[in-house]
Amino acid sequence: MADPQTATFNLTINGRKHSVSADPEMPLLWVLRDLLGFSGTKYGCGVGVCGACAVHRDGIAVRACQIPLRDAVGHRFTTIEGLSDAGDHPCQLAWVEEDVSQCGYCQAGMIMTAAALLHQNPHPTDAEIDAVMSDSVCRCGTYGRIRRAIHRAANGVAKS
Amino acid sequence: MNVQRRTFLKVSAGAGFGLAFRLHAFATQQTAANFEPNAYIRIDSDNTVTLWVTRSEMGQGVRTNLPAALAEELEVDLDQVKLQQAMPGSRFKGIRLRTSGSGSSSATFMSLRRAGAAARAMLISAAAANWNVEPSSCTARSGAVIHAATGRHLRYGELAAAAAKQPVPENPPLKNPRQFRLIGKPLKRTDAPQIVRGTATYGLDVRVPGMLIAVMERAPFMGEGVAGFDPTKALAVPGVRHVVAIKSGIFGGVAVAADNTWAALKGRDALHIEWLPGPNRNFDSQEFIRKLEAEASAETPGYPIRRDGDAGSALANASPGQTLHALYEYPFQAHAPVETMNCVADVRPDSCELWLASQTPETAHQSAMRMLGLPPEAIKVHTTLLGGGFGRRLFVDYAEEAIELSKAIGKPVKLMWTRADDTRHGFFHPASVEKLSAVLGEGGTVSAWIHRSVGSDLSMFGLPSPDERKDQQRYAKDESPWGAFDTPYNFRHLKIDYVPVNSPVPTGSWRAVDYPSRVFGRESFLDEVAHALSKDPLQLRIDLLAPGDVLTLGEQEIDRGRMIRVLQASRSRSGWDTPFAAPAGRLGGRGLAVNIYHADSYMAQIAEVSVARDYSDIRVHRILCFFDCGLPINPAGLDGQVESGITWGLSATLHGKIDIREGRAVQQNYRDFAVMRLGQMPAIETHIIPTENPPGGFGEHPVPPVAPAVANAIFAATGKRMRRLPITPERLQSSMSRTEERT
Repeated sequence: MADPQTATFNLTINGRKHSVSADPEMPLLWVLRDLLGFSGTKYGCGVGVCGACAVHRDGIAVRACQIPLRDAVGHRFTTIEGLSDAGDHPCQLAWVEEDVSQCGYCQAGMIMTAAALLHQNPHPTDAEIDAVMSDSVCRCGTYGRIRRAIHRAANGVAKS
Repeated sequence: MNVQRRTFLKVSAGAGFGLAFRLHAFATQQTAANFEPNAYIRIDSDNTVTLWVTRSEMGQGVRTNLPAALAEELEVDLDQVKLQQAMPGSRFKGIRLRTSGSGSSSATFMSLRRAGAAARAMLISAAAANWNVEPSSCTARSGAVIHAATGRHLRYGELAAAAAKQPVPENPPLKNPRQFRLIGKPLKRTDAPQIVRGTATYGLDVRVPGMLIAVMERAPFMGEGVAGFDPTKALAVPGVRHVVAIKSGIFGGVAVAADNTWAALKGRDALHIEWLPGPNRNFDSQEFIRKLEAEASAETPGYPIRRDGDAGSALANASPGQTLHALYEYPFQAHAPVETMNCVADVRPDSCELWLASQTPETAHQSAMRMLGLPPEAIKVHTTLLGGGFGRRLFVDYAEEAIELSKAIGKPVKLMWTRADDTRHGFFHPASVEKLSAVLGEGGTVSAWIHRSVGSDLSMFGLPSPDERKDQQRYAKDESPWGAFDTPYNFRHLKIDYVPVNSPVPTGSWRAVDYPSRVFGRESFLDEVAHALSKDPLQLRIDLLAPGDVLTLGEQEIDRGRMIRVLQASRSRSGWDTPFAAPAGRLGGRGLAVNIYHADSYMAQIAEVSVARDYSDIRVHRILCFFDCGLPINPAGLDGQVESGITWGLSATLHGKIDIREGRAVQQNYRDFAVMRLGQMPAIETHIIPTENPPGGFGEHPVPPVAPAVANAIFAATGKRMRRLPITPERLQSSMSRTEERT
């Protein structure tokens, strides 16, 4: 039986089309995680203050928990699973080289946020990195390494 | 803090080799082709080496450090070791799987080395028998046994079947540390490639076929249950399948299970629940802390923790101007790991399977047995990666909720907590007030030191009964409170008391357990004493640790000499003796604090802080950490844990706290329970001072010195004593000398 609160939406995620039938108000975060199985995008706060669910919308970092499904149509989304084919985006390589992760839970969001930053500003200063990355929470306190990894990725020396 | 906890912590913080290393108790399940000399290892005929990891990975690096200890002795390359997460059950009967007390790497270190060495000896014996040569003429390297004299070699896989028939050696020879290839070398995290691709599996990422997703509304007032609820509107939300009252868990409540998280959340919003009235509706944490302060200043006897000389008389007989008193306050704190609490449970009539991010899978296993009446072998507990643990995941309340729910609905279910659930329904770090008093002696000495520590027993083990409370020695026997009991300094007259004042607030182990609040008081007050004596705070500590002897306290042997050497290193390598150059127009200073973690790790931290002249802003520029934790198993991991612990300590020093008003936690999110962010971070410099002592803990240890080091630096900058956390510009701007009394 068709549910009056459900509608069908066509989304573009990681370069592929996905058809989703769900409540138009459902945040993209739960669409990704529960309906499409992209579990690399994490739930941290649900109110846009931690950054664990950062994805790219048309190349810009946004918070999937703040985007209702109905607003996701007509955009290209990239999740951590689609950031690179082989886990070799400069940020991913730099994150490994700088041994950033501890528990690692927030790092997909951190990497997506950093990758979008570098796309817009290929050589950010410390202050520019701090301004963008301070919207994201790492309870393990890997912040210093995150900053170093972003510089490493920017310098194109990701693979040492 | 009770006797149960002592047992708990002894096992967690101490070595427990005998407990963990049970070569002979392991009922071998090996087939002809496999070699399983003990519960930890299997070597297959295809050369695969499998290690069962007996601790949970929560960022402290067990999935790197534990295989390194094994690979070192087994003589295989680190990337040859495939990891399996140990599961509670017969294979690990008697082997601890709990992750706590900063003991993951240190307490498994010798067990895994011995397990690897025993397997190596058996593989060598098998090869030597095959070649008909002396075992001593063979060596092992990179997963093969080599007979150098004849150039022959056999891979471990080829030897597995024969090695399995060799006797298990009682005391296999261990490698000389000088020959270590992995231990003591910086090793990067082995999980990193999966983490950066988003493919690492945490509890919230688990999906099983037919699984529903549930959220739960918990009683808003502590310890009150559901009187009744109307599920009609919740059940009308598309996708909602079940609405069930749940008695298990932290407070009980009503769960909504749905096809997806969003439907569950909308269903929960539509619930109408009547809560039972209870006694905690008016509980207020501010009032509670005032009560702790009153107890701290009262003359009532506390539980005697330490007694040397006669501190009471020394204080009573001191002349005016010779004594110093201060109170220090630590608020309730939440753990707030970024991955909220969750559990996937699949309860069937005759079995139960759980997937959870837990520090104590064995406790979840026991809960399932108790709740379902199933035998141990009918229950499987899969431990996923933990998106932060910090002590919160020593509890399995969320697993019990999920078990009860899955049983009720007859389906597998993922019970997930929202951020607000997680922030408000914690087992918080208990609030405490420390009262410190000192009698200043002649010639810049301290003749008496009195510490009256007032706070709550951790409710995680159940509060002591009135009968248990009659035992005056119970807390001292428990070696608690940490940070007060193990005060390392040499005072002629010393008196330490503990006064438990309990509240209805659930409390438990937070990162570093008792230490943060007690060390905040102890190390801040020592700084006050140093200034009153016009002595250098670093030198005063060295003087009070003289002659560098070993202080034996219960089962702890505190080596004051190690602490002195760490302090000397911190003096020479920090610029301590030169003024701190604050940025132009700001007030600046350095502060020092030290702590010794359970006698096996010795740490000094120096904080460099500046404050705006109008006190409108506090900036921590740099924290230097000097650290002797014995043999550093993985120096890269140690650096990471120091950065992590210091960040944790700074969050508590400068930001978050939990307030409870009208019986419920006020804070709900990272917006109002603030934690450190990148832009606020100081530079952190870790100076490891390696010694040949056994490896000590390091995951929690960097937390406690942060608050007093920062507070002491703020005093150096401003002359203001900050004795209440968090230290905010608003508090700095208001009156700072609330509790200071000189008599």
